[in-house]
Amino acid sequence: MLGYILRRLLLTLPTLLLVAVAVFVLMRLIPGDPVQLMLGDMADAAQVADQRARMGLDAPLPVQFGHWVHALTQGDFGRSISDQQPVLPLILERFSVSAIIVLVAVALAVALAVPAGLMAAWQQNRPADLLIVLGATLLLSVPSFWLGLLLLLFFGMHLGWFPVIGYVPLSQDLIGGAWYLVLPVITLVMIETGVLTRMARASAIEVQRLEYVTHARAKGVPDWQIVARHVLPNAFAPTLTLIGLVLGNLLGGIAVLETVFTLPGLGRLLVDAIFARDYPVVQGVLLFTALIYVLVNLVVDLLYPLFDPRVRAP
Amino acid sequence: MKKNLTALTTCVLAAAVGWPVTAEAQAQNQTLRVRLNADIRSTDPGVNRDFNSDGIVLHMVEGLVSLREDTSVGPLLASRVDTSPDGKTYTFTLRQGVKFHNGATMTAEDVVWTWKRYLDPATNWRCLPEFDGRGAVKVTSIEAPNPSTVVFRLESPSALFLGSMARMDCGGAGILHRSSLGADGKWAAPVGTGPFKLGEWKRGQYLELLRFDGYTPRTDASSGYTGAKKAEVERVRFVIVPDAAAAKAALLSNNLDLIPEASSSDLQELRARQDLKVEISGTMGLNGLLFQTRDPLLKDARIRRAIALSLDTEEIARTVSEGLSKRNNSAIPSSSPFHSQVQAAGHKQDLAEARRLLTAAGYSGQPIKLIATKRYNSLFDAAVLVQAMAQGAGIKIDIEVLDWATQLDRYSKGDYQLMSFSYSPRLDPALSYEMLMGPKDKQPRKVWDNPEAQARLAVATDSADRNERQAIFDDLHRRMLEEVPIVVFYNGADVAAMRRNVTGYKAWPASLPRLWNVRLQ
Amino acid sequence: MRWHANGVVGAALVGMVLGVALVALWWTPYDPLALNLRAKLQAPSVAHWLGTDEFGRDVASRLMAGASSSAIVAVATVALATALGVVVGVLSGFLRGWTDRVLMALNDTLLAFPGILLALALMVIVGANRWGIVLALGLAYAPSMARVVRGVVLSLRETEYVEASRMIGNSATVTMLRHVLPNCVAPVAVLATSMFGWVLLSESALSFLGLGIPPPAPTWGNMLAGSRPHMQTAVWLGLAPGLCIALTLLGINLLGDALRDRLDPRMERT
Repeated sequence: MLGYILRRLLLTLPTLLLVAVAVFVLMRLIPGDPVQLMLGDMADAAQVADQRARMGLDAPLPVQFGHWVHALTQGDFGRSISDQQPVLPLILERFSVSAIIVLVAVALAVALAVPAGLMAAWQQNRPADLLIVLGATLLLSVPSFWLGLLLLLFFGMHLGWFPVIGYVPLSQDLIGGAWYLVLPVITLVMIETGVLTRMARASAIEVQRLEYVTHARAKGVPDWQIVARHVLPNAFAPTLTLIGLVLGNLLGGIAVLETVFTLPGLGRLLVDAIFARDYPVVQGVLLFTALIYVLVNLVVDLLYPLFDPRVRAP
Repeated sequence: MKKNLTALTTCVLAAAVGWPVTAEAQAQNQTLRVRLNADIRSTDPGVNRDFNSDGIVLHMVEGLVSLREDTSVGPLLASRVDTSPDGKTYTFTLRQGVKFHNGATMTAEDVVWTWKRYLDPATNWRCLPEFDGRGAVKVTSIEAPNPSTVVFRLESPSALFLGSMARMDCGGAGILHRSSLGADGKWAAPVGTGPFKLGEWKRGQYLELLRFDGYTPRTDASSGYTGAKKAEVERVRFVIVPDAAAAKAALLSNNLDLIPEASSSDLQELRARQDLKVEISGTMGLNGLLFQTRDPLLKDARIRRAIALSLDTEEIARTVSEGLSKRNNSAIPSSSPFHSQVQAAGHKQDLAEARRLLTAAGYSGQPIKLIATKRYNSLFDAAVLVQAMAQGAGIKIDIEVLDWATQLDRYSKGDYQLMSFSYSPRLDPALSYEMLMGPKDKQPRKVWDNPEAQARLAVATDSADRNERQAIFDDLHRRMLEEVPIVVFYNGADVAAMRRNVTGYKAWPASLPRLWNVRLQ
Repeated sequence: MRWHANGVVGAALVGMVLGVALVALWWTPYDPLALNLRAKLQAPSVAHWLGTDEFGRDVASRLMAGASSSAIVAVATVALATALGVVVGVLSGFLRGWTDRVLMALNDTLLAFPGILLALALMVIVGANRWGIVLALGLAYAPSMARVVRGVVLSLRETEYVEASRMIGNSATVTMLRHVLPNCVAPVAVLATSMFGWVLLSESALSFLGLGIPPPAPTWGNMLAGSRPHMQTAVWLGLAPGLCIALTLLGINLLGDALRDRLDPRMERT
């Protein structure tokens, strides 16, 4: 088991390296100079060049890349160009904000989606099923930021129940801080429930038709037992894969939600850094995200055999 | 006992409901919540700064001189400034008994120490080029003959010396106590003489300034950064809200007290609300349409003039600024004392004449690219209007929208045909023209390359004779209208929106927010 | 039975949108780009069925033009992603070995890239126009298509058709074209249908963040983004494009469901 995990992690190194190079090159290709941005329209070329030299931005690209990778091996992600702060602590802090929202939202969504999907599958083609599917499809058709804006407009501004801007870390104030997260989490839950419900339903339907289920039914085993022992675990497996994909991709898509709800999360950090051409931050965030993506998929693969006995444990 | 219990229960219930607004309402008399649209870069005056950083820093540090309300230069930490007849020696007499945040009294020695640090290249002070001879001034020596006098000697006289000292983007050359640096000689936190001192700074979230109880105010009336300043609130919390719509929502729902630069398109809505009020001020920034005079098509002055003639700059100014600004086709801001009658003359729309010039120049409908950005609404809106108006004269303009970093890059390289651009404020007319003029071979970002005009500008920069300078500026303006390297539309206006219980806040041409003398009723 | 209902409703919604998009290529009530500064932010009325925006432009006309724009971008993007994905997937799944490893490594790299960075980079390099978006999103979605196709090909490889084809001497290319590709059509079609929806959402998200097809040309995404400052005073500005996106997506998803039900032989038809 340990060997498998290590091997998987090692195998991802080439991909990570590729990502690192691609990000590095791509960012430098985009026109726009972080130093020019910092100094504004008042600075002349000499001042800009001088500042670039101070920050080591005038060295040849391979040299800069080498420095960066070398620092990485020592756990140093470099310093942000904008405010000279170390990148890794910044990423971790922002990540904790995004992660909490995503994890809570996905957990809630799963708790809603799996029973809904099972119910729909069990009642296939009857009114309950149609209603659930229509609801799920509607939910995932709505643009997340539009939903967020509407919720903010209604519950935040109109009713005044929730704060409209800002953020208080949970470590500082558990209850007060949680209040800032309610609306973004609800937005995400609504959308992800739609996606996951459909998947849960589809895999549940597939399992239902399997012979051992019909066999159990014929034997007279009560419905709930069938669901609990056979349908649920098997339906969950593909849903698990989807959860993995969803989690991995969500970090990218969450930038818009963080903009709407003014949360200091990882998505917004990336977007702001790209606009500011803050190379170390962009590179750091991307590398970190790729790593998370790999880890999440690894966990999913490890959990899979628990739910689907047909898949051999690694 | 019972009252305490009730209060306690209420608090517990409120906390359980988790309603931050109520809890904050209780603290409202102590904390003023102001919007910041992005985190600041650092608290080191004039070092690693941007507009927001300047605003914060200037609450904590004060320079020898600074800006008055009308953007002229007046004494701040100095009680008087004497200039020698040859213009090369400036003697600053310091005010007595001014305290630093750590309780120490400011003396001439602190001034000399601070300036030595600014002029040290290792500090990376933004305004170093202005004082070491690369710019207008070369400081040859700074001395403290006694604890309350500092003497600066210059290599040659310049009208810009005091103005450069007061520059906001250099931290106003704020005087610091040496304990602002850590034991390792690196920047720690500003220990200045300002009415506020640094409180908590949670990067990415908020920054707090605390009232400095030992502040030593001037006795003259408050004016700009000079005069009597008093921190009326105990704490100012600058909340970082990058998104303008979210900031507005926060103000409306009493999660913010003040937005120093609200969007002008919200003006009507904000004015209509009973619980808000609005302060407006013209600013010294410049919005305009840049031409690349070396472009194969636009190098023909007739085409440039035709484009200028197709525009109704009054309409553009009025629409883009939501009625807050009037047309100003001069490089010198309307609020400047040098904005004379001559400067008030400008472009008039004349479609027939435009067409005539186009035909004469042989323009046959070739598309011209106009660069704009969505980052600043005014720039984008202006571009849309330019495109629509130019169409009336048969000029085909395509708008190319870039992100700000890319646009700034193209600006600094001169790589564009037309560009909707905005310049940050310049407080002296010589600087206003200097930002537009220069040899394109060495400074590709400059729009106007005319050696004769540049020579005239150099004279105006060094001269201290007001009439001579005004005459030169008027001449430059006339030439600019002729040659059309740029069509200036207007100087911006700031709309400050605040809750009704905020009193004493004034917007002003220099734009930076000032939270002293501001009260929460 | 159910896929009938899905298909009908879905097709109706999508058909309506496509119809409007087609019509908008020739006619809209007003010119979507025509400014009218005296009539800014007007509520819906007889003259302007959906009101006017912050420049006085007719919202209904802009919605229609936006439909055309979004339709073109979506079709082009999905075509690009599908073409790239199919090529990579078939080559990778069929040839296996080093080709497979290299292609999949590149594929995963692309998957790990956040769309926004790719979009910004490409749009800046290619130019801030719709082709930049098409390229960016096409490249962003091609990897998913490639993975799906590769999966299908891998399972098909071992079937009798393919073995028989190789045995009678057909080259790899011919086998790929004649036997493998046609069997990919079903899963590709299903995924492609979903992709239309993703593209629509991505384009609006990018516009929201300040990228995306630049104004003044209208897209639903940039109309939604532009409505934000006026959310309270001019609600219709935000509701209209948002509803359009949601309904279109609903139609696409229902249609996709119907398609999947129809094409997937494993699903029992009731």
